[in-house]
Amino acid sequence: MSTLVALWRIPSARFALLVLAAVALLAVFGGALAPHDPLKQYTDDVLQGPSGAHLLGTDYVGRDVLSRLMEGTRLSVLGAVEAVLIGGLLGVPSGLVSAWLGPRLEWITLRISDTLVVLPFTVFAIAVAGTLGNGLQQAMIAIGILISPIFYRVTRAAALGLRKVQYVEAAELMGATEWWTLRRHIWNKVLPNVAVTAAHATGAALLVVASLAFLGLGVTPPAPTWGGMLSSDLGYLAQQPWAPIFPALLMMATVGSLNLLADAVREATGATTAPRRRTRPTPSASREEQRDVVTS
Amino acid sequence: MTLVASAPAPPAAPAALAPDGAGAAVRRTLPALRSFASVAAVTVTVLLLASVVTFALGALSDSNPAAAALGETATPADIARLDHEFGLDRPLPQQYLSWVGNALTGDLGRSWFTTIPVADSIRTALPVDLSIASLALVLAILIGGGAGIGAALSNGGVVDRAVTLVCSLLGTLPPFVIGMALIVVFAVKLQLLPAGGYVPIQADPLEWLRFAILPALALSLDVAASIARQLRTSLVGELHENYAVGAEMRGFGRRRVLFGHVLRNAAGPTLAVIGLAIPLIIGGAVMTEKLFGLPGVAQLSLQAAEKGDVPVVLGTLLVTAVVVVIASLVVNLLQVLLNPVARRGSGATGAAR
Repeated sequence: MSTLVALWRIPSARFALLVLAAVALLAVFGGALAPHDPLKQYTDDVLQGPSGAHLLGTDYVGRDVLSRLMEGTRLSVLGAVEAVLIGGLLGVPSGLVSAWLGPRLEWITLRISDTLVVLPFTVFAIAVAGTLGNGLQQAMIAIGILISPIFYRVTRAAALGLRKVQYVEAAELMGATEWWTLRRHIWNKVLPNVAVTAAHATGAALLVVASLAFLGLGVTPPAPTWGGMLSSDLGYLAQQPWAPIFPALLMMATVGSLNLLADAVREATGATTAPRRRTRPTPSASREEQRDVVTS
Repeated sequence: MTLVASAPAPPAAPAALAPDGAGAAVRRTLPALRSFASVAAVTVTVLLLASVVTFALGALSDSNPAAAALGETATPADIARLDHEFGLDRPLPQQYLSWVGNALTGDLGRSWFTTIPVADSIRTALPVDLSIASLALVLAILIGGGAGIGAALSNGGVVDRAVTLVCSLLGTLPPFVIGMALIVVFAVKLQLLPAGGYVPIQADPLEWLRFAILPALALSLDVAASIARQLRTSLVGELHENYAVGAEMRGFGRRRVLFGHVLRNAAGPTLAVIGLAIPLIIGGAVMTEKLFGLPGVAQLSLQAAEKGDVPVVLGTLLVTAVVVVIASLVVNLLQVLLNPVARRGSGATGAAR
């Protein structure tokens, strides 16, 4: 709670939270608030520009762009959130375990995470669609698995140095169970880093979901998604060169807010106080700060 | 895209132990050998795991050659016959071993539909991706490097802020939107460049460049942004180090210090960012292929995925993983050449990322 209050004091975080709240609202109520049926084809008004009847114009079969944007928010956002949840559920516990149990598991878990990093998102998602079938669940699980190394590495890096910290040793000497120490001391230090990573990863997952929809993977048309709308706009760039702007702007606002929020969380909670090898003046408090400490 | 860029950046190299005395040469070569061995072990493990993941996808799949080729009309007898023909009735470990063994000799099986060897299809499609990805990488280094150096030189100034702003904006857009914007500007409005199509580089390099420049540019901007951001951060950091300040105090110009001393040291983390960006570039090539209608691996893989042509899908995934691993190794090697300290320690972990 105090973190939220601290966040609210940072102007950029306030802006980001407002935008994200609006997007969340759209995701829940977007379909109900939409002025038109997102699937209804107004065949007389095909490829119209913005007007009173259709605030953002119509697409190539005459569907209302605004309504499709509002309805499409749900699938786009839910998909990204699901992927990040899967990634976090896989990555955070394995990161904690690998940092806690030390070198016994370290080598092989690191190699697994290396392997997952090597596989490109889109190619892997295509392969999953080709073998396990094309669906939103398959695509999101695939992305979640590929995202998990990020959580794994961040968690591991944050937890690694804590094993030898004096207060952890003191707790162990006083007879605290491993589980208690983990929950009480380690988790509090790891959580801010995980939160920052989750915000970044959600933004990135939104982009990946959009990319997959663009390739025709995941959500099947005519159900609207941001990426799907962009991909259908592609065929009509000559007639409507401005059409991709609306979904792109909405996406930029969402992903940008998530990135701003991540930076603000880092600032408010001091997530960068994770053990780092070199402390060096890095003026841009951006994501490069998440230095790995694998070498230690 | 921001995803892998937000993954951990390069491991900070541990302080080197100064070699002293007669055993210095031995002490210098021994860690190099050991790190070579560990890099090899990591690479082999990663490739092995990648092949297991790929094969597991195929094994979990419920599509079979008969259903793929004959559709609904396939009888159980057909299924059994074709399964036997493609060796799918053998136990899974045996299938895996023969698949990997064949893959090592360059045989990835045959397509269930056309029975064309998968390796042949990939061999014709791969140069498209590789040439465009390499051009994109060159563009990304030029654009990102230029922007990063410019931003570091005007630390806090207008250029710096502009570069930072553009980089953050680029990070919030999926790469295909950038490609669409480029199509609108260069193909639709200015009518300068074609919006799609491809000419092989062997046929006509100039014509190839005309077709390849837009896809490559679309692919590179994202990576250029992360290069610029990292280069700026490490350059600004290095410029505060004692040796840089000292050089400046001795009367060297800012530029001379930057290009002569600092850039070499700042390049390490930037190279690591490039290494992390390679899967992004290869994965992004899939998007640009679709966007610009290029006859590359992704089209092959997408078409195969639609039909359920498992061998082709698995082959493309495996080849992509191998390409990424090789490219990462090259980047890793460059890093080692640039910074002898990185030879110790980080060799083991930084290899296949």
